[in-house]
Amino acid sequence: MNHSEATKDRGPSAFGRTARGLGEAVGLLRGPQRILPLASRVVEDRLRITLHRHHLYSYTTTVRPTDEALRLLILWIRNAQRPDGGIAAYYSLLNGYSASYPEVTGYLVPTLYDFACTTGDEKARVCGERATRWLQSLQMSSGAFPGGLHGDKAQFSVFNTGQILQGLTRSYAETRNSQVLEAAVSAAEWLTHVQQEDGSWSGLGAYQNIAHTYYIMVSWALAQLSESVEHDRYGMAAERNLDWVLAHAKPSGWIEGINLLGHPTYLHFIAYVIQGLLECGMVRRRSDAIQAAANSAWVLLRKFETNKHLLGAYNADFKGGLKFTCLTGNAQMSCVWLRLFEVTKDLRYLNAALKVNEMLKELLPLGGGKGVLGGVSGSSPIWGAYQPMRYISWGGKFLADALILEQRLKRHFERAECAS
Amino acid sequence: MAAHLAQLGQVPVGALTLPPFDRKTLLRKLGQWGVHDVARYAWTKLTQSNAARGGQLRNPFLESFVRNGEQIFSNLHQVARAFGFPVAVCHDQNSNRAVTLLKGWAPDLMIFTGGNILRKELLGVPRLGVINAHLGLLPQIRGMSSPEWSLLEDVPPGITLHYIDSGIDTGPVLLKREFPRVAQCQSLDELRNRLIAYGVELVGEVVLGLNRGMISAQVQSDLDKDHQFFVIHEWLRVRAENRLKESSAAWTAERQHG
Repeated sequence: MNHSEATKDRGPSAFGRTARGLGEAVGLLRGPQRILPLASRVVEDRLRITLHRHHLYSYTTTVRPTDEALRLLILWIRNAQRPDGGIAAYYSLLNGYSASYPEVTGYLVPTLYDFACTTGDEKARVCGERATRWLQSLQMSSGAFPGGLHGDKAQFSVFNTGQILQGLTRSYAETRNSQVLEAAVSAAEWLTHVQQEDGSWSGLGAYQNIAHTYYIMVSWALAQLSESVEHDRYGMAAERNLDWVLAHAKPSGWIEGINLLGHPTYLHFIAYVIQGLLECGMVRRRSDAIQAAANSAWVLLRKFETNKHLLGAYNADFKGGLKFTCLTGNAQMSCVWLRLFEVTKDLRYLNAALKVNEMLKELLPLGGGKGVLGGVSGSSPIWGAYQPMRYISWGGKFLADALILEQRLKRHFERAECAS
Repeated sequence: MAAHLAQLGQVPVGALTLPPFDRKTLLRKLGQWGVHDVARYAWTKLTQSNAARGGQLRNPFLESFVRNGEQIFSNLHQVARAFGFPVAVCHDQNSNRAVTLLKGWAPDLMIFTGGNILRKELLGVPRLGVINAHLGLLPQIRGMSSPEWSLLEDVPPGITLHYIDSGIDTGPVLLKREFPRVAQCQSLDELRNRLIAYGVELVGEVVLGLNRGMISAQVQSDLDKDHQFFVIHEWLRVRAENRLKESSAAWTAERQHG
């Protein structure tokens, strides 16, 4: 089993949940200072569900500036950086920070650089550089990176290698450090080596040993590296996977093959497929991939606009699902809609993204100390099925990405308005 | 709307209205929106009805339609008393009671002035159909916040009168017309109010036209394309208003320079 993805999942088994609950309760006894933030968040969410049942945005106005929200998110991420340089997977209201998490540390690197470039914040840049050095120290001789939390029994992981490749590629673009480039190329070589004939990744390096369409995120990373080093072999490997994913797209907008056996199909993973397809399609200039991503994204946009929220998990063909909010998935969809606005100029994508961002900014804690302040919880309410009682680093990453993108596109829009 | 039609000699056979505060509606909205948003909504409604009681028109551009000599109608009941048609108050326009009542009036045509969904059974009541005055030009601008989206999408603001079908603003079109005085509007609220008044004027024109057999409905083109727009976010609404103000400033400058 790939530990990294297991870290992001929560199985439905009652026994597993009970055991985990007991473990976390013990954690709470060890850290009684967490009782107050836990109790206050639970009460706050209870009230929020009662008073703002569906986060109806029609009557809400902007109260929290995007700059301020971004600053808080990056502060949360910097606070989550462990002494080894890696970034924790989460801060649990029950047992505190987790160990460093290679996968998310990898794809947080572009976010940190984006923030540093936008604001000139050197602390974010330093955080990204430290994270990169730590990642380099983890690389296996094969070029692969390990799955799971740091300190777990290391086993190579396709998905985590791909996500870390994103960080290495960006780090190289910023620093021109040849050792970082070597690490990136070595990871890409391994990924292309273990890729199946049909373009998918399955077997030992894949979660549950089976192929998943959300591994299109790996292809996006390969496509980015291909552009960066002008080595089309990685781009071609990305396109082979792209074709395999496109074969799973249905007319309903649903893309099959997420294949998380025993787990609900959380919005986070659905959004991974759409985001990976869109971004990989954009890098490779594949209009069929962009169109497929737009089809899926449009279905979710209509659901969001009609129902005022997205479900935490969906059944096949978007029919029904779990009624809590997966905040990370919402932030990812915001990124997707913003990018689709950039590509298509269709303002309805921008409109939906602005509303989602408003809702997500509203949910950011303004107090509670390290681990809570500026954190994005797995679920709303916090006891929802996805990463309950935790503030998760990849949630912060995607919301920061969405807000940085929102600011950039708003600036472009204003400039275009002035010019016309 | 009822006053204008009656003054044109097209006195309604009846009018169906919803109560401003209804327990069932309130509970449904509480479930959908939560206490906070319902309280805001109720406050808006309350301040609006107080203004109406004080003789202030919510939409000043409707004055010519609601004036009856020296009198200004402030509600539907006054119009009904003046022109002698019944008004029924119903908690849900789709309820069996409402449908039975409407069937009893056997209308040729229904004019819809609300914003809720109408079910199929109700749509089948009038002989010709149910007309909606949509505040945008179809098929380009369907759905919500139409005046704002029209400005942002470079589609001239206007009115489309169409029969309601099971889709969102997808029914056959009776009349569509660009609004000629957009540049005179200083704000989005003014544009919206003027469009509503223009819609009332055009409904009169269409009812007379249908009565004389001079208007027929045309099926919309582009039905396969998704032209539906949703409630606009505040940031984009401000941009739409800026565009309106720019065109208004240009119009004013043009007038000043003769």
